[in-house]
Amino acid sequence: MKFIETLKLAIAAIWAHKLRSALTLLGMIIGVTAFVVVVSLIQGFNRYIDEKIAGIGSKSFTVQRFNFEDFKDLDSIAAAQRRNKELTLDDLEYLRARATLIDKIGAKARASRSLVKRESKFAEDVPVDGSMAVIAEIDNTNIAEGRFFTESENDAAMRVAFIGMDVANALFPAGASTAIGQEISIAGLPYRVIGIAEAKGTVFGIPQDNFITLPLKTYGNNFGGFTRNRLLYFQATSKTDDTFVDAVDEARFLLRARRRLKAEEKDNFGIVTPDAITGFRDRLLGPTYIVAIAVPGIALLVGAIVIMNIMLVSVTERTKEIGVRKSLGARQMDILKQFLVEAVTLSAIGGGIGVLLAWIIGTILTAIFFPTYLSIGAILFTVFVSGGIGVAAGVFPAWKAARLDPIEALRSD
Amino acid sequence: MSDATLTSPAVEPVVQPEPPRPHDAGSLISMRNIWKTYEMGSEKVHALHGVSFDIPKGEYIAIIGPSGSGKSTLMNLIGCLDTPSQGEYWLNAKNVSEMDDDELARIRNQEVGFVFQTFNLLARATALHNVELPLIYGGVSSAQRHEMAKKALAAVDLTDRMMHRPNELSGGQRQRVAIARALVNHPSILLADEPTGALDSRTSMEIMDLFERLHSEGNTIIVVTHEPDVAARAHRVVSIRDGLIEKDEKSR
Ligand SMILES: Nc1ncnc2c1ncn2[C@@H]1O[C@H](COP(=O)(O)OP(=O)(O)O)[C@@H](O)[C@H]1O
Ligand SMILES: [Mg+2]
Repeated sequence: MKFIETLKLAIAAIWAHKLRSALTLLGMIIGVTAFVVVVSLIQGFNRYIDEKIAGIGSKSFTVQRFNFEDFKDLDSIAAAQRRNKELTLDDLEYLRARATLIDKIGAKARASRSLVKRESKFAEDVPVDGSMAVIAEIDNTNIAEGRFFTESENDAAMRVAFIGMDVANALFPAGASTAIGQEISIAGLPYRVIGIAEAKGTVFGIPQDNFITLPLKTYGNNFGGFTRNRLLYFQATSKTDDTFVDAVDEARFLLRARRRLKAEEKDNFGIVTPDAITGFRDRLLGPTYIVAIAVPGIALLVGAIVIMNIMLVSVTERTKEIGVRKSLGARQMDILKQFLVEAVTLSAIGGGIGVLLAWIIGTILTAIFFPTYLSIGAILFTVFVSGGIGVAAGVFPAWKAARLDPIEALRSD
Repeated sequence: MSDATLTSPAVEPVVQPEPPRPHDAGSLISMRNIWKTYEMGSEKVHALHGVSFDIPKGEYIAIIGPSGSGKSTLMNLIGCLDTPSQGEYWLNAKNVSEMDDDELARIRNQEVGFVFQTFNLLARATALHNVELPLIYGGVSSAQRHEMAKKALAAVDLTDRMMHRPNELSGGQRQRVAIARALVNHPSILLADEPTGALDSRTSMEIMDLFERLHSEGNTIIVVTHEPDVAARAHRVVSIRDGLIEKDEKSR
């Protein structure tokens, strides 16, 4: 018997019991949907981080007061707060003057939240930070309107602002492009808008376009210096990809020398590289992966048992049919294939519906919460696993059907 | 088979092949000392006690006997739905008793056409699809299958009922579908186990007329029945009692 005949038969049998087939597949569908949604969240997160790193550039690293390791537990946070000194602009000059492997280096200061106003419009709690002009090059900042500020504007501590798209939309309902050259008030002082960053959407529900960046010197002057929550940190790029690790080592060596650390002493500053970010991500996602597989795994197991049960019922119900088919020349293999293909088709349909549902949920999540991503590989894997579940669930009932004695089967009703 | 089993039946069959030969090479069907034993718990039920006979090609035979005498058991053996507990069965010069499951399935598909008392059609399938079933398992292409099934249905005068399901057909029409299905593969033998048992007498006669026509066209037909009218149509009548052949006579 040809495969296509067997497949037609399977689809006809599934279609003959539409409601029962649908109920049978509920477990499968829930399991597959949950699995694929989690996978697409993880893949979306990975891609987001990869894009972030690609955006920053693989040659870029950050020098800051604390290390990732310092946040392990409360004790190490406390110890780091005692040991690690704040970075200063003198530190930056020291590095800039001595480092031979660094291409660009600049300083930023962490944001503080401020009220921003323009006429009757206002936005509350907007993160405002300060940055050197070179940071736009290091970050590969994409500009939607206007321009980033220049180093001379920074040196002159001019009151100019580079703003995010959300801020532009909140203050300039007539359109973001009308914002350029306009005056806005930040924490009570007037600033001129000179540029708007390209929109980035939201990540984990956090909007990425709600920010204002001022020239570093302006920020320092008007927001009370680079202390407390406005700490300085540096961003730097190496001259080439190949010398990236050496450039990081050189920066570390120079800072340790400047701070007169002994060989056995730990760094009292932190250097964050893309590797450190991906490492952090992998540590974060490790347990998530296990949960992501285990929870839908249980649903899939239940789904498989339900399919097996319904296939056993189906074999019993159709004993007479099996007898008729055998009396007309169906071999054991034909009957085995008939029921196995039916089980596999059933669960593949469940898998397909699950993937489709997950794709819809993923699309909604992407729109309102976090970018999800569903790779072809993940879809194929899921369909493959669904088929495998069908085989596992169908093989015993199919074997039972194939082994039926033709006469006994014909006699049943 | 050992000699011991050959001489074991308590009652000597009326017709015994002699001298015992492996099989009759000229016969379509050649059964030698066939036993069928069912184990019911500790008890053994002998449905057939050493049956032997030959059927040449083109014969029209009726097997008669009281209920429980072993007629269906014998039919199932001839049709390769079942295998004997002992004895040799040669069909078309092939030893069926030594065949495995797949070979038996092939014989059922190619060599035998079965007609049952209760029709045994697939309820969900159209008459046409029911008739196509043996061809599907015979690996016939779908276009050719359609042609052959239509021809077989035309031969039983059901051209206008091809797309009907069994529950849309009368008993006689259902049995004609079953006969078309049995004949569609051009088998060597047509086996019918009480084919008129579920039909009224008028319809029964129609079916028997059809059998007569099929016989005149060269088909070998074996009909199990307990109705004298039906048996009278056959050219040879074999009577079975308690699992043994009691009488075997040519009626025409
Ligand atoms: N599967 C079976 N298990 C046990 N006994 C059986 C089975 N099939 C038939 N028999 C017995 O074998 C004998 C012959 O049965 P059967 O061939 O059906 O008779 P008939 O068709 O002539 O009425 C009966 O005694 C019946 O009870
Ligand atoms: Mg019977």
